[in-house]
Amino acid sequence: MNAHPSELTVGRPRRGALGSIADSLTALVKRRRLIWYLANSSLRSKGSSSLFGNAWLIIDPALQLAIYYILVGVILRRPEPAFPLFLFAAILPWRWFTQAISSSTESVRRMGKVMQQIVFPQIVLPVASIGASFGSFVLGFIPLMALYLIYPERITVWILALPAVMFVQLLWTIPLAITLSALNVFYGDIGNLVKHFLRLAFYLSPALFSYDKLLKAAENYPLVVQILHVNPLAWVLIAYRDLLYYGRAPDWFGLVVVGTLSIPFTLLSIYIFNRLSPGFAKVL
Amino acid sequence: MAEHPPILLENLGVSFDLRRSKKRVRRSMVGQVQRLDENGKFWAVRNISLRVESGESLAVIGANGAGKSTLLKVLAGIISPDEGKIEVRGRIATLLQLAAGFNDELNAEENILLVGEFLGIPSSQMRGKIQGILDFADIGDFADSPVSTYSSGMRARLGFAVATSVEPDVLLLDEVLSTGDAAFREKSRARIVELMDKAHAIVYVTHDLESAAKFCTKAIEIEEGVIVAAGPAQRVIDAYLKKMEKKK
Repeated sequence: MNAHPSELTVGRPRRGALGSIADSLTALVKRRRLIWYLANSSLRSKGSSSLFGNAWLIIDPALQLAIYYILVGVILRRPEPAFPLFLFAAILPWRWFTQAISSSTESVRRMGKVMQQIVFPQIVLPVASIGASFGSFVLGFIPLMALYLIYPERITVWILALPAVMFVQLLWTIPLAITLSALNVFYGDIGNLVKHFLRLAFYLSPALFSYDKLLKAAENYPLVVQILHVNPLAWVLIAYRDLLYYGRAPDWFGLVVVGTLSIPFTLLSIYIFNRLSPGFAKVL
Repeated sequence: MAEHPPILLENLGVSFDLRRSKKRVRRSMVGQVQRLDENGKFWAVRNISLRVESGESLAVIGANGAGKSTLLKVLAGIISPDEGKIEVRGRIATLLQLAAGFNDELNAEENILLVGEFLGIPSSQMRGKIQGILDFADIGDFADSPVSTYSSGMRARLGFAVATSVEPDVLLLDEVLSTGDAAFREKSRARIVELMDKAHAIVYVTHDLESAAKFCTKAIEIEEGVIVAAGPAQRVIDAYLKKMEKKK
């Protein structure tokens, strides 16, 4: 028998707020492969037991586009030129956001059984959910490319700037996902509320309409205008539309500010998660 | 070595807030009012002090609902204690329940790697174990099929093979595993004995007093969340048997 290792596995003294945040960040880097596996398998499970299998990852956004096209374009008669592309440029990133938030909200709760048996940094769960939804977001670019076949004049080099805008969106998705996943363990109501909140946020963001039209419509409701101004996602959606639809530079300065503002929220969300996570195994 | 035993507990206590727990948990606590404190918290275990030295194996015996499984979960680091001190040193392996962490969509090999990642074992190390695990689990041609197509026996065998593929310093066992057919049970028992030989410290929760006496050096008896007897395994078990007989 070898000498017994003296390193503590259980019972390490609790670290302060900053120490625990740093621990979580290192854990996320160390366990990147676990995040990858979890994201990958949840992406794959979406296609299983259906006739079209993983093709649904492409069909799904295309169908959603069709529905909104009929709803807004035909019934409300508000089309902009090249309307399908106008819509899709914002619906696609919005889908990523919704899927990321709704799946990560349930991510910890869903893994309750595993957490009863294996010790691992649970913060990987919401992050893996974001990863999985990112995968389906990227596949959604296939129908988008198909739209460019119809409107070839709309495609510009600005499309190459997409990763920067995606990154800003990611920065805001992370703190929300982490916080909601932890709270939802204790209050399952949150999962139900989130669905409706996301729907409301969808109509309050410039996804279906152009930002100017939205502001005009809200003229008499200063509160709504306020919300529109401070909604980080509005900034992101506008930037997507600049790149994909108008073919022009986004508001870089605004994006940098919006992205930077997310950092304190991310740290706070990790702190909240770490405060709540010792209780997870007890209530699940 | 005496200074840092693999397992050290001092006045450890774990409480549950019954309002937040699932119904399943609550139901098992009915009729145990004496374990509630003034704040309405239910103490699953309390005032537990014990020390498992290197080379020792500890049997935990007691009636259902006494707090044995909670104790094991604290030792594994799954639940953190609400009072007292806990120190567990070295790599821990738990055989609490098998096939934990499996994903139905993945095949055997991918699941082996997935569980390895959950456990924090470097994938290079885990890859080297894949063939051995597949052989031990004996799932044959199904290795490339998603786990959702497996029979429950195959799942459990694969789960057992993965869980026991790591050589732990501290081994936590809950009940003797009755997995699969007679032949596999024999094989799995042999594997556990092998792990027990290599581990530095073992905690074995069981109702099977015979195997507890056979495998363990020390034993504690838990009743309603507190240790009521502790000492050499044979002595504690004999006393427990006598007590049970009187109750009858």
